[in-house]
Amino acid sequence: MANKRMISPKKIRIAAFLAVMGPGLIAGLSDNDPAGITTYSVLGADYGYQLLWVLVASMLALIVLHDLGARIGVVTRQGMIGLIRQKYGARSGTLSAGALILANVGTMTAEFAGIAAAGQLFGVSKYVSVPVAAIAVSFLVLRNSFATVEKVFFIVSAGFIAYIIAGFMAGPDWGAAARGVLIPTIPFTQEAIFIATATIGTTLAPWGLAFIQSYAVDKRLTKDDLKLLRVDVWTGSLLTGVIGFFVVVTCAATLHKEGIKINGAADAARALEPLAGGMAKELFAFGLIGCALLAASILPLSTAYSVSDLTGRPAALDDSPKEAPLFYLTFGLITAISAFLILIPGAPLIKILIITQVINAILLLPLLIYMYGISKDERLMGEFVATRTMKNIYLIIITVVGIAISCMLWFTII
Amino acid sequence: MAKRIVGRSELALQRKNIRESLVSLAGLIGKPVKYQGGNEIGRLVDVVVRHGEDSYPPVSGLIVKVGQNKSFIDGARISKLTQNEIELSSAKVDLTEFTRREGESLLDADVLDHQIVDVNGLRVVRSSDLYLAPLDREIRVVGVDISFKAFLRRIFPGALGRGPIPKHVIDWANVASLAHGTGVVRSNESRAALGQLRPADLADLIEDLAGRERNALIEMLDPDLAADALEEMEDDELQGLLRGLSAERSAELISRMEPDEGAEVLRDLDGDHRESIFMEMDNSVAKQLRKLVEFDETLAGGIMTSHILITHEADTVASALALLVEHRGRDISDGVVVVDAKGKLLDHIQIIELVAAKPGALLSSLMGPPYPTSVNLKTRLDEVIDEFANNRGSSIIVVDEKNKPVGRILADDLVDALASTSDTQGFAQGSGAL
Repeated sequence: MANKRMISPKKIRIAAFLAVMGPGLIAGLSDNDPAGITTYSVLGADYGYQLLWVLVASMLALIVLHDLGARIGVVTRQGMIGLIRQKYGARSGTLSAGALILANVGTMTAEFAGIAAAGQLFGVSKYVSVPVAAIAVSFLVLRNSFATVEKVFFIVSAGFIAYIIAGFMAGPDWGAAARGVLIPTIPFTQEAIFIATATIGTTLAPWGLAFIQSYAVDKRLTKDDLKLLRVDVWTGSLLTGVIGFFVVVTCAATLHKEGIKINGAADAARALEPLAGGMAKELFAFGLIGCALLAASILPLSTAYSVSDLTGRPAALDDSPKEAPLFYLTFGLITAISAFLILIPGAPLIKILIITQVINAILLLPLLIYMYGISKDERLMGEFVATRTMKNIYLIIITVVGIAISCMLWFTII
Repeated sequence: MAKRIVGRSELALQRKNIRESLVSLAGLIGKPVKYQGGNEIGRLVDVVVRHGEDSYPPVSGLIVKVGQNKSFIDGARISKLTQNEIELSSAKVDLTEFTRREGESLLDADVLDHQIVDVNGLRVVRSSDLYLAPLDREIRVVGVDISFKAFLRRIFPGALGRGPIPKHVIDWANVASLAHGTGVVRSNESRAALGQLRPADLADLIEDLAGRERNALIEMLDPDLAADALEEMEDDELQGLLRGLSAERSAELISRMEPDEGAEVLRDLDGDHRESIFMEMDNSVAKQLRKLVEFDETLAGGIMTSHILITHEADTVASALALLVEHRGRDISDGVVVVDAKGKLLDHIQIIELVAAKPGALLSSLMGPPYPTSVNLKTRLDEVIDEFANNRGSSIIVVDEKNKPVGRILADDLVDALASTSDTQGFAQGSGAL
């Protein structure tokens, strides 16, 4: 602990925050993965500024849920899957973990797809970019301590600034953007409802919720840190929203104005070149690599935490592979399988991505309900048990998410 | 990690008849509970056990679902318990509503799938299954399975791999279960096994657990061992821990810590909390600690340990040695401090000098160079370090303004002081040793 008399109080506060910072910021930003950026790009390209409020609503839900997840982790010192096993039984725990593993492999494949696409924008073959990324991510987590891994996460996160710069370069209509944020309107078409639901889904990812809880446990944060942790969660979620906002705004100011339809984030980067000029394409591509790398580090980690948690085996970044074999084995397997899937010529990638989205959507609802159950369990949460107001807020979110997910599943199936 | 085996031959699972009559709790839940003669009363929901001084907690009752209601049946009524059914000793029983009682816990709701401390393997694990067996005329919990296999067979329907695999079952005596519930699962053996852990390992275990379990673990530890473990904990973890404990228990533990460590802990607490702990302490201990707390961590008075053995120059070697023997076990017992008639510092005599001298000799006859290095209570940390570096000794004596010895600074105190003032200390340090 820093000596109180040698350093000014202000510096102590900053140092204390820096020490707690992490779970909220990393879990939040990693939700802006290539799938997220793609969704935001399409949202902006197809609907301009009109649906920005969906992004804001998702961000608010993200703040509430990540705050809850982090708090559960700190108070119970257990990951989400372990708590589900404990409170809801072995089958619930295993089913949740199983769905999470499947969804995470699919999502991880999407992250590698993002890396492959961004690499190709710079003329790098996916047979080079994907293995390099897989090895880099594994090396980072396997060979380094918690503190080092976290620092690298922060550095990679800085790549997101690229989107903010690109947003300003695109010269958006700020007035229209403000209206889009504040006035919730939506065209009642299948596509519009689908993209709105996808935006909620990509922001509130199950693996993100599982991750923030386990990460707070692994970071050994204590109840004293909860106030600062809240600042961290708010910062992370707000930044996530701000980045999403700039992606939407960039695409609205350029692609939507010109009536260009896109299918993905790499598409967006390519289409941006003649419209935003200068380095917009490179910035977009650079941002895409950053967000893919961050998410590609978090996903296997989140899975490894969850599997270890389910089985009650040690799970800590500071453990050696010898001490926590299951943890590192899971990490390696998830990374290897996903990298392999993306490199098989003719693998049904689109199908994998759609199925992933469906599993994530189906998984999210029970996870939220479990989290709600844990939050009001006084034996688990003690003095931090949810208040009546918070319980109502959780119920509202669960209801809205439930409706959105039903819509999404309906559209996916028909 | 090295396995520590509890040195006891009487473990229940070492008896063949018990190994062969194990009943899986996970497999038992949902099975019929029958009257004598075979009429079904209902289905088993949970098993209640009572914790006491026994190593193997006996079953005190069953929770049975009768129709839509959950009823309690006294454990004394059980006549036969097999993997597939439970039979009672009478054709009629009183069905009462279940209420939790002090010192009892529910095996399915409170223990199964919850975290337990595997004392032999020294880690926090989850219980995959619990095993019951008749022992000393009662049905008791005798073992716990933490294997993944046992967990898997509960997920899949049917009897896939049903039944215990002795290799994977841990004797209940080697487990410290920290179940939620009105009672803490404890046994004499697990307490003894916990006593064999190194304080640093124990500190890691404590840091791995959350509030309720953590307090339960602290409660079941021998206070001296708990105090040692507390000394090894990270500052902020320790602060959080003390907030969760009663002032009485906190006072007990802090009193047993080395005074300088105890003072450091108290110094970081807020005023009211600190005061409430002082109130629960022995007057003399509180007085001593209050004095230490007042000193800044960067001054000699704040770093030192106030445990010194003070002898008079006119004392004999034999009496000095007796004093040392009396305080053996303390890491400060490497010698005695000698003062004059007014209590002023004269010398520090090493234990080896005392041993070599005649028992009847006076301490004054042993005095002479090299004289010990001493610093004032208000000497700054950096100057203390300089003194250490210049003298290459293992300790420095701290004196007050009248040159009376009040404490000593040992090399490890200095290491602690440096570690706590170092800005480079990361939050993740010292974690994850499990």
